[in-house]
Amino acid sequence: MDGWGDPRIDAYLAEVAGHLSGPRRRRERILDELRDGLHEAAAGFPGERAVDAAIAEFGPPRRVAEAFAGELAIAYGRRTLTGLLVTGPLIGALWLLALRLPPWRTGLVVLLVALPVLPLVAVAVVVAVRAVATTGSLMRWLPETGPRQALLATAVVAALAVVADAVLIARYAGRGSALTALAVTVSAARLLAGLAVLHRLATWPSRLEK
Amino acid sequence: MVPIRPEVLKGHLDALLLAALEDEPRHGYAVIEALRTGSGGTLDLPTGTVYPALHRLQSAGLISSEWHTVGGRRRRAYQLTASGRAALAQHRDVWDRFSAAVTALLARPAPG
Repeated sequence: MDGWGDPRIDAYLAEVAGHLSGPRRRRERILDELRDGLHEAAAGFPGERAVDAAIAEFGPPRRVAEAFAGELAIAYGRRTLTGLLVTGPLIGALWLLALRLPPWRTGLVVLLVALPVLPLVAVAVVVAVRAVATTGSLMRWLPETGPRQALLATAVVAALAVVADAVLIARYAGRGSALTALAVTVSAARLLAGLAVLHRLATWPSRLEK
Repeated sequence: MVPIRPEVLKGHLDALLLAALEDEPRHGYAVIEALRTGSGGTLDLPTGTVYPALHRLQSAGLISSEWHTVGGRRRRAYQLTASGRAALAQHRDVWDRFSAAVTALLARPAPG
């Protein structure tokens, strides 16, 4: 018997799900995989107690969930950092347009005076690219980034984005063209998103290894 | 007999998982069973060790996975990538030298 539709498996998985935190799709895949594994395990035990034996083999729900805490934290960090890396250049381009600073005709000093946050952006990009690369296929060649380091990198990048947006908004809000107003609005949206990320990280529920 | 704890396998788990997928694609629980039967029951790794390690190997590009529907359930089957085969060959080479060295060092002195 493989325990198909058995309420004990549903209850067990619901308990595991209660202890998982991270991107929803990732959590659903983990639960689908565990469900399949539990049924396979149950099929290997004889009689009525097969489902109980399979559940006992998998172990306490909290401990099983904890085993996935690291990969879920990394998945959250990668998703957030990728989002910031993709939207960052668009927001940057909008600011350059709004302030009429074509980078190919503007000297570095003029750029830095108009956008004093550029060094912060450069640091954020380096931290984000490194964390995304060393939690993906580059981990074969570079030192691997663990879950806690991935969340730390995400916090650093989100904080830098928040500071950069705050500086730009404080400097240019209520000034200039409609395009500047649009850039301020978009930066305000990212600032709020960055604060939401920082709040999520500050209240991250699971304990993580390095 | 003293049981072998998962921590002892640290550093060799990747190689064991890659080896379990060498002949054919397998789903997560089939990998656990392959390690159990292949080791004559000595290596009985918990789910909480095997599934996250498979996911990590996939992130590293050493294995890939595909989802199928089997008997109304979603099933994820893993298979080696070309990089995974190369990594397995390297692991084997390292293991051969490591195990020969440790066996020589731990060898019981001949009686008499």
